[in-house]
Amino acid sequence: MSLFGVVANPASGKDVRRLVARASVFDNQEKQAIVERVLIGAEAAGASAFAYLNDPNGIVASAVRENRRLCAKPLDATQTRTALDTITAARALRDLGCSVVITLGGDGTNRAVALGWPDAPLIPLSTGTNNVFPRMTEATLAGAAAGLIASGQIELREVAAQQKATHVAVADERPDLALIDAVLSRERFVGARALLHPEQLDTALLTRAEPAAVGIAAIGGLLHPLSEDADEGLLLRFGPGGERVRAPIAPGLYKTVEVAECRAVQTDERVAAKGPGVLAFDGERDRSLKPDQPIEMRVARTGPWVVDIRQTLELAARKGLFRMEAPGARRKTAGHEMAGHNRRA
Amino acid sequence: MAEPQPKPRELAYVAAIAEGVRTVMQEQPDAFVAGEDVAEAGGVYGYYNGILKEFGPERVFDTPISEEGIVGLGVGAAATGCRPIIDVMFMDFMGECMDEIANQLAKMRYMFGGRATLPVTILSMAGAGASLAAQHSQSLEAWICHLPGLKVVMACTPYDAKGLIISAARDDNPVIVVLNKMSLAMMGPVPEEPYTVPIGEANVVRGGSNYTIISFGRMVHEALAAATQLEELGIDAEVIDLRSLQPLDSAAVVASVRKTHRAMVVHEAVRFGGFGGEIAAQIQEQAFDYLDAPVARVGAPFSPVPFSPVLEANYVPNADRIVAEAKQQLGL
Amino acid sequence: MSSEITDDILLDIHRRMVRIRTFEERAGKMMEDGKIPGALHLYVGQEAVASGVMVHLSDQDYITSTHRGHGHLIAKGGEFTYMFAELYGKATGYCKGKGGSMHISNLDLGMLGANGIVGGGPPIAMGAAFSCKFRKTSNVSISFFGDGASNEGAFHEAANMAALYKLPCVFVCENNGYGEYTPQANHQAIVDVADRAPGYGMPGVVVDGMDPIAVHEAAGEAIARAREGGGPTLLECKTYRYYDHVGVRGMGLSYRTDEEVEQWRLKDPIVNFEARLAEQGVLTPEAAEAVHEAARKDVDAGIEFAEASPNPDPAAVTEDVYA
Repeated sequence: MSLFGVVANPASGKDVRRLVARASVFDNQEKQAIVERVLIGAEAAGASAFAYLNDPNGIVASAVRENRRLCAKPLDATQTRTALDTITAARALRDLGCSVVITLGGDGTNRAVALGWPDAPLIPLSTGTNNVFPRMTEATLAGAAAGLIASGQIELREVAAQQKATHVAVADERPDLALIDAVLSRERFVGARALLHPEQLDTALLTRAEPAAVGIAAIGGLLHPLSEDADEGLLLRFGPGGERVRAPIAPGLYKTVEVAECRAVQTDERVAAKGPGVLAFDGERDRSLKPDQPIEMRVARTGPWVVDIRQTLELAARKGLFRMEAPGARRKTAGHEMAGHNRRA
Repeated sequence: MAEPQPKPRELAYVAAIAEGVRTVMQEQPDAFVAGEDVAEAGGVYGYYNGILKEFGPERVFDTPISEEGIVGLGVGAAATGCRPIIDVMFMDFMGECMDEIANQLAKMRYMFGGRATLPVTILSMAGAGASLAAQHSQSLEAWICHLPGLKVVMACTPYDAKGLIISAARDDNPVIVVLNKMSLAMMGPVPEEPYTVPIGEANVVRGGSNYTIISFGRMVHEALAAATQLEELGIDAEVIDLRSLQPLDSAAVVASVRKTHRAMVVHEAVRFGGFGGEIAAQIQEQAFDYLDAPVARVGAPFSPVPFSPVLEANYVPNADRIVAEAKQQLGL
Repeated sequence: MSSEITDDILLDIHRRMVRIRTFEERAGKMMEDGKIPGALHLYVGQEAVASGVMVHLSDQDYITSTHRGHGHLIAKGGEFTYMFAELYGKATGYCKGKGGSMHISNLDLGMLGANGIVGGGPPIAMGAAFSCKFRKTSNVSISFFGDGASNEGAFHEAANMAALYKLPCVFVCENNGYGEYTPQANHQAIVDVADRAPGYGMPGVVVDGMDPIAVHEAAGEAIARAREGGGPTLLECKTYRYYDHVGVRGMGLSYRTDEEVEQWRLKDPIVNFEARLAEQGVLTPEAAEAVHEAARKDVDAGIEFAEASPNPDPAAVTEDVYA
């Protein structure tokens, strides 16, 4: 029996894309309800304890007050209301030997987890704006999958696949990474973070290019689809002289983008670019580059392990993990109607 | 023989209100009507009937049931160049919007050193007598007369209703026009053309020599009926309809009392702390030496407005109570 | 979608923030010294919000402010002379000494007043937005209010009506974490006021209120949307007031920790912005200092003007009640 982790990003689903695009507002009450369902699912599948990022909005803490049956451990993480809170929480989860982490957020939230724990085992739930990495999934089932893994009934490696990441080396500064797209934009400031000026785009390196996504991944996806399984990345150099593509760069927002060059790059092939500009990762402007400051980007399969919930529950079904004993049969753990306990009994 | 004068046109009080509003909307392109049920429904008492059709939805519109928002809309719009006509359906609802009335509308000009102009007209319905009980029947003019920056008028006839509404809307100050729901069917002469009833001028509605009844709102009619009864007792009562409570035509009141030497104030609102106390005080300040008797006051008892018709009849002042009070005052 | 920010706008925002900070620090000191009567609610720490929003507005656009209103008037173009004269209660003040700090205003600049009533502003801003639409202008109306005011019925009524009538109104919530002395956790069950926006039928956005560029970008989108007839927005700016609810005491307060204040001061909108502008070659430290110096001189001139100004004629007490 090990811990599972819960990281709910209070800031996801609230940025300026509500306004310029028509992205959904993801209010914290809904996030709390999602966490409550996660906990119910995990408990039903045999988990007994979890650790969580005690976010300043109290999303998980509120859910914990509603469900006191699981042992809940708040993590020693910062409370800066920035991505740093998620990064430090991810490190703490790794140090605790956590077996799987449920995240609530968008691509940016999962990237922050990966910054703290690069190959973290994840069940990413979508409560963000750009959601290429996480998927819309019923939280109860995500919780159940986490519970099955945390209770040792399902092996992570049986049901999870390691994802790619784009690694970015920045001259004289700390390296960085993206899970879906790393982008150099000619904008000067991080500002409201969302990447909304396609005419300013310079270079992007994508781990996947999906026609059925929004964000920078969609630009590549509509030109040269590339799945999460392919062992390569997609390089986009923006500007005139090549293709013009109309792509949904944010929910509800199509823009025509000029792409001068679009080609697949092999894993670990290095792509160079330089400042000035702003580096954006997974849809959000994140840091500034000085004039001529060089960067080098590469795609590698070094990212988080992502659990396939469907596969997990199918395996659980095959193993009969949710079958209950017949009425009247001896019950070892009174009041604990969880599949795992009964099977082991 | 002279030609017989054509009988002046008569209108019901409710129709006179409507005509006042229509006149204002025709005169002032920056005027609009906003309030609960004023557009599609034509107002709960029908005095906005046809206004929507004539002036269109940009100038006549229904609001949510949000009195604070409605008056706030009026304040913000007036401060920026509009001349809003705001309907606060029942005067009782002023509790909901009292901050906007008392702290924003009334004070903004003064707080801003005279650099804001707020030509807001608020129409609101007061009055007991329809078994609408404690929250739809009150006369709360004392609340708003206590607020510097507001003008407060009360219309007791169809003529005054139209004229006061036009005056209120032409005034550059916030004016609250208090109407009475029991007067809606009352008929009276109303000229078709636009006219004003000046704000701040009392109206001597009955001349008299030895008694003054000062009243306003629907109670003016009860005062007139009482005056007729008082004739039998040898009392020749002058009846003054204040029409405007803020500003108050003290001069008219004092002149009458100096002439008649005896005075009574009649209003529908609760007597204790009512506007009648202010008038009584002004009389003793300015005509003390002329008084032959204490100033009498007639108003509602110190209770909420009751529901039962039997109780309500015993609540609202009337001619008989005015006469009884006068007799007591004069030792008759 | 608005275009990228220009150097001129960056410098404009910087200047407005510096002017607010300089004015407020000095005004606070003068209140402490007993030169300014009454109560001052200082805007120090929140400068990025007023400045980032106001650079999008003209004098024909309206704002309503709060009891913490000096910053809004300064960012809207208020002159220090008339502002200090008002704080001194002099006849030459913006309100002839009749309003003071809590009612400071200038309608010529479209500033419809600070407001002593928490939640007093949103209905008025909504009304001004109605007026912009009624008179067929392309102007907008901005309501600044705090997390505390978001619990007032007045805010709720204004937000509902603005959305209902699709008014050109932007509700800018300056969430500084405290309703007077009560931390947000003790006055509402939510942390992001913007979460309420969908309930009114308008978009809600959260931005870093210590970052003037973030505020500028988000406000630009909200204002452009309002001008184009797209209706209102609830824009929540996470910010912090360095000083107490009233006055200049910042540290050692019973209801918040000094560590919290220090953490927020690390995000200082002016210090960090100047560093970024220097990095981008937009503003040298010397040029920044010149902006501070100019603001200080303006403050000196404002105080001089106020002190040399006549008191109101005592008889003026009853003037300006009516038009």
